[in-house]
Amino acid sequence: MGLVSRLLEERGIATVCVATGRDLINLVKAPRALFVNHPMGNNFGAQGDSAMQTDILRTALAMIVNTEVGGELKDYPTNWAKPFQFAPGGARKPDQQSEGFAVKAQQR
Amino acid sequence: MQPIKYVDALGEYYGSMGHPPYRWTINETAPLHRLSKSLSECTVSLLTSGGVSQCSMPAFNPDARNDHRLDAIDRDISATDFQVHDSYYDHSDADADINCIFPIDRLRELAANGEIGAVANRFWSGFMGRIYNRSKITDETGPAFADALMEDRVDILVAAPS
Repeated sequence: MGLVSRLLEERGIATVCVATGRDLINLVKAPRALFVNHPMGNNFGAQGDSAMQTDILRTALAMIVNTEVGGELKDYPTNWAKPFQFAPGGARKPDQQSEGFAVKAQQR
Repeated sequence: MQPIKYVDALGEYYGSMGHPPYRWTINETAPLHRLSKSLSECTVSLLTSGGVSQCSMPAFNPDARNDHRLDAIDRDISATDFQVHDSYYDHSDADADINCIFPIDRLRELAANGEIGAVANRFWSGFMGRIYNRSKITDETGPAFADALMEDRVDILVAAPS
């Protein structure tokens, strides 16, 4: 998706990637990337957490205005409530539902 | 918590599925298009690569490789009219609330209160990853996507890889 973003920038469309894979997005060097240290699939936060979803979206949109050099990677300040791992295999079974949520961290 | 090292984790996972080693694209610099207008004047669209499709559409292949499918999704779609099929991540939260990966309701709210100019006519879902034939993106599907966004007068694309 970073590859697509680069191509769009060259065509005059501003892009920002909201990514949960810091090393992945950094390798391809997306024009603007906001790294969110949540499980893959929770780029904008937990289910029902509309406040954080909005805040992450706003933070990403602010990068459209504020980024001056292509390839900027910014870290969104957040703490996911439980440790998580790379979790291939699709959705959890019903008895393994996540109780995941995130707390926005203090801005450094 | 330290970020997960997905390059290593995915390399092992792809190998366990019998796929050849994935050659990641590595760039040192990136292009940047700076806008000459404010967010409140911009038309914004969203792209997800999380195997998200409308319920009336066929499901994405959850184990896809080299899948260049790209769905256009009407901007007025209900947030409950989606299905998610992707075996590479846990999408149980997204199954319950699509805004976790594809914040269509949140974007519409920002348009309603004037923080952005407008939501584009179409949202997008595709580029699912595990794409080994990358030249097809740079030569075909990427330019076609750019054309579609320009047709919708999109200024900004927010992309969420999953």
